[in-house]
Amino acid sequence: MSELHTIQTNINGKPVEASVPGRLLLSDFIREELRLTGTHVGCEHGVCGACTILYDGLPSRSCLMLAVQADGHEIVTVEGLASNGELHPLQEAFKAKHGLQCGYCTPGFLMTLVPFLAEHPDPDEATVRDAISGNLCRCTGYQSIVDATLLAARQMREKAGAVDGSEATS
Amino acid sequence: MTVQERGAYRVIGQGIPRLDAADKVSGKAEYADDFHVPDTWYGAVVRAPVACGKLKSLSRDPAFDWSQVAVVTPEDIPGNNIVDMMGRDMPFIAHDEIQYLGEPLALVAAPSLHVAKQAAAHFKVDVEERPALLTLQEMVAVYKEDPAKLHKLSGQTIRKGDAASALKDADIVLEREYTAGHQEQLYIEPQGMVAIPERDGTMFIHGSMQCPYYINPELCETLDIPPEKLRVKQSAVGGAFGGKEEFPTLIAGYCALLALKTKRPIKMIYDRNQDILYSTKRHPSWSHYRVGVMKDGTIRAIECDFVLDGGAYTTLSPVVMYRGILHAAMGYRCENVSIDGHVYRTNTFPNGAFRGFGAPQALWAWESLIDELAAACGMTPDAFRLKNCLHEGDVTPTGGLLRDSVGSPEVLEKTLERCQFAEKWQQCSRGKSGERLWYGIGLSFFAHGSGFTGDGEARMKSKVALDLETRADGTPIVNVRVSSTEMGQGTGTILPQVAADALGIDVTHVDYPMPDTFKVPDSGPTVASRTAMVVGSTIYSAGQKMKADLESFVSETLFDGQPTELVENQFRAEYDNRSIPFVEGAAAYLASHGPFRVYDQFKLPDYVKWDQENFVGDAYPAYAWGCNVAEVEVDTLTCEFRVTKVTAFFDIGRILNPVLAMGQVQGGLIQALGYAMMEKLAIKAGKYDADRMQTYVIPTSVDGPEMDLHFVEYPWDHCQPGAKGVGEAPMDGLAPAIANALEAASGVRLRDLPLTPERLFEELSRSQRLTA
Ligand code: FES
Ligand code: FES
Repeated sequence: MSELHTIQTNINGKPVEASVPGRLLLSDFIREELRLTGTHVGCEHGVCGACTILYDGLPSRSCLMLAVQADGHEIVTVEGLASNGELHPLQEAFKAKHGLQCGYCTPGFLMTLVPFLAEHPDPDEATVRDAISGNLCRCTGYQSIVDATLLAARQMREKAGAVDGSEATS
Repeated sequence: MTVQERGAYRVIGQGIPRLDAADKVSGKAEYADDFHVPDTWYGAVVRAPVACGKLKSLSRDPAFDWSQVAVVTPEDIPGNNIVDMMGRDMPFIAHDEIQYLGEPLALVAAPSLHVAKQAAAHFKVDVEERPALLTLQEMVAVYKEDPAKLHKLSGQTIRKGDAASALKDADIVLEREYTAGHQEQLYIEPQGMVAIPERDGTMFIHGSMQCPYYINPELCETLDIPPEKLRVKQSAVGGAFGGKEEFPTLIAGYCALLALKTKRPIKMIYDRNQDILYSTKRHPSWSHYRVGVMKDGTIRAIECDFVLDGGAYTTLSPVVMYRGILHAAMGYRCENVSIDGHVYRTNTFPNGAFRGFGAPQALWAWESLIDELAAACGMTPDAFRLKNCLHEGDVTPTGGLLRDSVGSPEVLEKTLERCQFAEKWQQCSRGKSGERLWYGIGLSFFAHGSGFTGDGEARMKSKVALDLETRADGTPIVNVRVSSTEMGQGTGTILPQVAADALGIDVTHVDYPMPDTFKVPDSGPTVASRTAMVVGSTIYSAGQKMKADLESFVSETLFDGQPTELVENQFRAEYDNRSIPFVEGAAAYLASHGPFRVYDQFKLPDYVKWDQENFVGDAYPAYAWGCNVAEVEVDTLTCEFRVTKVTAFFDIGRILNPVLAMGQVQGGLIQALGYAMMEKLAIKAGKYDADRMQTYVIPTSVDGPEMDLHFVEYPWDHCQPGAKGVGEAPMDGLAPAIANALEAASGVRLRDLPLTPERLFEELSRSQRLTA
């Protein structure tokens, strides 16, 4: 049957070594082997974006990747967003602005938007809509997700401004 | 009259964050596929290879290794092989007649999903195939020839006045037909369930569902176990929209039957392809109207055939059709109404519940026709609606009196004013040649019945409980115990808000644990926009009872018998102004009496009278009202069109949480946009052609128009806090508003949903408007 491959990867900041079949999907590895069930599977085909994780910092669809591809790479899942028990500002903004209803799509949106906000600290609504156009949400109609993202961007700018003393533009 | 005594409420009306938000943004919420139950086997379904036929034999491939596989066939079912919904015509596992492609023939389970799937593929099925009736179009063709040739699943009429003779007196009679196709709910979390057989003989069903008290009792007969041995608990639900109303009984049954056979936990999570192919859809519909109007715009008579494609079995189709016919002539004054509703069998998976539940199909046709009637009278769509719309004191098509909380005509007037309809109507292109872009604006206006149709609420008598208990950390907590589920729409937040206000405490002292039939009474299913109104008001009265009891306890034990009130989180003594925090008084109560439960039960007001046989009276205790305006732009080179702006007002009664309510409207309108112009399922070789997310296309973040959305508040006076439900109304009116706008833009009318550029091109070609 399928041969096992040893992989060394880093998941949410912790080194992980595992033996995995060559055909095991990265999404299944994360959910079934590591039991990090915050990464959701909605379509298994790269369409909905619910399974999005960070792969060396880039948003990637774990349902379209194999676990062996994690070898030597860094993975961050939604469980890795909070630090020291504090939610990421984007998570806080999703709470505050109701950027979720059923929440099934939410981890995928968050993992798509975290790197986006790092690159676009001051996005306008159209840019945000474009950035999430590959993630499907059936509940919210997207407006609250857009609003949450804009709020997070503003708060992150303000925080950065407070730290380096520069004025946050709005 | 707009009633807005907000003063009485502190928590109701606040847009507080969702109570489940922290779990959902951090990946902690547990959906059905997230449970890890040791020793679980995985289930799969052996499916019929034809859409219609007779099963002659089912055998296993001897070459396959069956040692690690459990198989359930009809002979293994302990009870009756029947799915008991509104009809008893559907078997759990087909054993003789096959009525749809993929109907279950056997169930298998194995230690891995891979082996289970392989095993399911190693059955040999021998069937005698018969011609199948697959589509609405085929069904309507037979209906027009001779309805007796169809297999009828349900029928119901509405009669008021004498439509046939009134039609003869009308100045103008329009006869029109409209159709609407299937729509898939496409919740992002697929269907999923786990069944765990417990040592004491209890079967524990845990998974993604809207209605725990559908599964119990529906499965009891099949499993042959008493209701007290069937425990059903809801997991976090990743969207449902009706798709997890009746369907979960099936997947729960598959899991439970396999669990009985294997004596192990069984998990079934549908992949997206199975989920689209083998779960319910919105019913396709055909509406045929003959409506008579006078030249001054008075509606004299309405005759309507409302026909639904039920799919293979009855399931919930009768009530979907009831809601359809109750909305098919609603909203406007007319003395003479005659409606015939029918549901017929086709050979597809049974169609079922989907947000709106028959009303979107009915209103799609009716609100399109209203524009056509206005034009026939030489009136503008807004003037025609303003002339005819129902007001407080008017009667509905079933003769029900609109007593109070009637948001009509305010929602209509406000929307028209807000979007400057009259001015923009003058600017519509109407298919003018030589223009690159055509502009059009269109309108819809509607009511949506709140709560169950007809005598449903009177029979249901929704029960709720509030538990005063002690949290793990020792502090008191009030738990809302209802079977109403949180599936994204906000039940788990609004009900605690209501309980908090009824008690006079902060919402931080109230929680909403996931419904579990071993812990909650039957509050009815989470459907029909009924939770905020029916369950919410019953929670409110339960909260008031609990408050009174706690007050008298504190009065007697701590305040020397002084009158005591629990308000703003404090027990206050009337005479000496002493006060103690809620937690202190509640902890004292718990210390002396232990946990405290208060029950209550919903009671319809006595004035609500309904004759279920003849469909006469108050079809609903109250209505939400809505008005949608869509503006469209058509590219005359490609016939592509887009909605540029939507303006809408809704009256949903008392608004419990304005941010959640607005989320329902935003999400519902985008789903309605998908229904109107994007979501399309055709049937090829018996099968839905769009059977994965690549091909079943729903709106993304860049497909939505600019939206200008508002509420007006006409609380339902009978109960506090007076909500009327917001879940479904946003699904009702956008499709006809867009079709009406498209006609204003192009000069041609599309009468089939979804509205597509191809259909527009065909109609324009036919009317020879495409000359450029
Ligand atoms: S599950 Fe990976 S994109 Fe949908
Ligand atoms: S919140 Fe339900 S799919 Fe996005």
